[in-house]
Amino acid sequence: MSEKIKATPNEPEKVDSRKTEISRFSLIFNKLGIYVVVILLTFLGMIVSKGQFFTAGNIQSILEAVALIGMVSAGLLFVVYAGNMNDMSIPMTMALGGMMTVQCINFGFPVALLVGIATGALIGLINGFMIGKLRANPIIWTWGFNLLLSGIVRVTWGGKQLYADTVARDTDFAQKSAATFYSIARTYLGSFISLMAIVMIVMFLVSWFIHAKTKFGQKLKIIGTSYDVARFSGINCTKMLIITYTICSVCASIGGIFFAALRKTASYENGTGYDFSCLTAVLLGGVLLNGGKGSVVGAFGGVLAYGILNNILSWVGLDTYSKYLVQGIVFLFIVWLNTYSNRKLGKA
Amino acid sequence: MMKDKKFRFNLNFVNTNRSYFFLALILICGLFMKNFYTAYNVCAVTGNGSLVIWLGLGFTICLIAGHMDLTVMYMSTLGALLCLGLHTINGIPWGLSILLATLSGVAVGLINGILVTKFKIHSFIVTLGMQFVLKGLMYIYTGGAELSIGRDYALNDALNAKVGFLPFSLYFVITTAVIFLVMVVLRYTRFGRNIYMVGGNLETAWLAGIKSNLVTTLTFTISSTACALGGALNGIYSGSASITMGEKGISPLMIALTASIIGGTSIYGGKGSVVWTWVALVAIAFLKSLCKKTELQVLVIAAILILCIFYETLAQYRKNKVVGTRPNLHLEYLEETGKKA
Repeated sequence: MSEKIKATPNEPEKVDSRKTEISRFSLIFNKLGIYVVVILLTFLGMIVSKGQFFTAGNIQSILEAVALIGMVSAGLLFVVYAGNMNDMSIPMTMALGGMMTVQCINFGFPVALLVGIATGALIGLINGFMIGKLRANPIIWTWGFNLLLSGIVRVTWGGKQLYADTVARDTDFAQKSAATFYSIARTYLGSFISLMAIVMIVMFLVSWFIHAKTKFGQKLKIIGTSYDVARFSGINCTKMLIITYTICSVCASIGGIFFAALRKTASYENGTGYDFSCLTAVLLGGVLLNGGKGSVVGAFGGVLAYGILNNILSWVGLDTYSKYLVQGIVFLFIVWLNTYSNRKLGKA
Repeated sequence: MMKDKKFRFNLNFVNTNRSYFFLALILICGLFMKNFYTAYNVCAVTGNGSLVIWLGLGFTICLIAGHMDLTVMYMSTLGALLCLGLHTINGIPWGLSILLATLSGVAVGLINGILVTKFKIHSFIVTLGMQFVLKGLMYIYTGGAELSIGRDYALNDALNAKVGFLPFSLYFVITTAVIFLVMVVLRYTRFGRNIYMVGGNLETAWLAGIKSNLVTTLTFTISSTACALGGALNGIYSGSASITMGEKGISPLMIALTASIIGGTSIYGGKGSVVWTWVALVAIAFLKSLCKKTELQVLVIAAILILCIFYETLAQYRKNKVVGTRPNLHLEYLEETGKKA
């Protein structure tokens, strides 16, 4: 029989009361703290814009600016949640999704849309196989793959920009589908809610359902918290990660299609910077960088906050380049807060 | 008994020295090009490739310490802009303006290091954010304009001039000297070995009494300082500097990453050499002169990068698969019982 090692007598039992208090605060912050920020930012926006914040035009511009980031974030969320930091191949996934859609516009708009989304799914499958099956370093692999895709796209199309109406043949059908392609980013339901915003909200609803109501979301939480624990408890991590990356890339390609429709061009530069801004939005929404914590509702708040912040910065009168400074500082602050609450929760 | 000493293709040897083989391949391909081995071409290629060598130096040191430093590209641009701006706008002599530009690198490196070690944020995320901070600062400083060295060509000529009988410019020679200096520091000093220790296993290093926070911070500082100095020299060498210095064609950051990985620096830290990166970067500089089209350059460099990552990943996967098992148990049994296979 093994002896039990007793603690020294007369020693009071140690209870770390501090930890539970802080963790409760951190949990609340992680969950819904972002909506406080959204409301504060809205008030700030009303002050800065001198009451023009709630005009139809401004709300429309906020929603349009937010829509693309929101679409991509709805997918990127899962990658961050599964503990893989970031998907650096988002820019080229967006660009390639748009370019393939424009290239296939001759076969009609629905087919072109499907081809664009299928391209995204293929990229996601490759990423997922490399990271889920072969355990590649998620950042290095997706970053390198982004460069490879960029090289392939640049050689294939010679670095040119694609226009849907010039790619389309001179038939009625092709021209009509090109016109439909352009119009998807410019359709408004009612007076000022654009189709893009509705697509974004639908995508967030779907990802909320996947995240909160299915087995997949629950398993993903375990993978994000601890990969080894998930593996030893019998979860098929490879399959889960492949699905995760596929969802992320499909969302990115949908974002890229709308981006191409909005700008009326498709080129390899289309998605530049979206990896960074979407990560900012997702982290703002309280998804932990180490994975395993966060919610889709919070991420939606993060996307809104990011859009309103950008809008306020334009009202203040900052030019695009000074915005970089503010965005960088906000990003660093948010990540620090994120890591800080993570540490207080006891996850290094 | 080793009866038959056949020549065996040692894949491990090839893998360790793959940067040298890469350089050799490029140089052999150069034989079939016209005007490739002229003194002018070699001088121009190595001189233009020197900026990326500084970036590769910074990136590799950080990768050895187990971190990633994405600020290298904008740090060098900031160094170049500060150096040229201080000289042409404020009229400060070259020596002082280069020093001030380098000091800006020290500041940014310290901030990076403190954010990583004290605030415990992942280095990739810290430097991703710092990139944008630096970009914003540069736009505020210059207003988006391109700076040039004006009419003061003395130092420019000196950096462009060939050294003795060598077909290399002074700028490239300085770069190479710094690389080998850093190599000596990394290999033969206590601080250098500590960087490898910290990168290999942070906890073990800490338990062994290494001040891991200090070492990490200093690593980031060295990286940023080197990039700022290299950028400042590059600004003088090329005669002008703009914010979009690196954004045309393929981003220098990606080249630095590619060269580090081709050179054999481990993604997980603790293994690698600055000299390997230097060899890979010289090879990439020649590769750029070999195929002139930017699109093709991007594809070739990306393909090589992906191949290296894929190989490393597969090797790691195979290694993880047999961990804890005894793959040659049968041979062991035969050896113990004295039978022969």
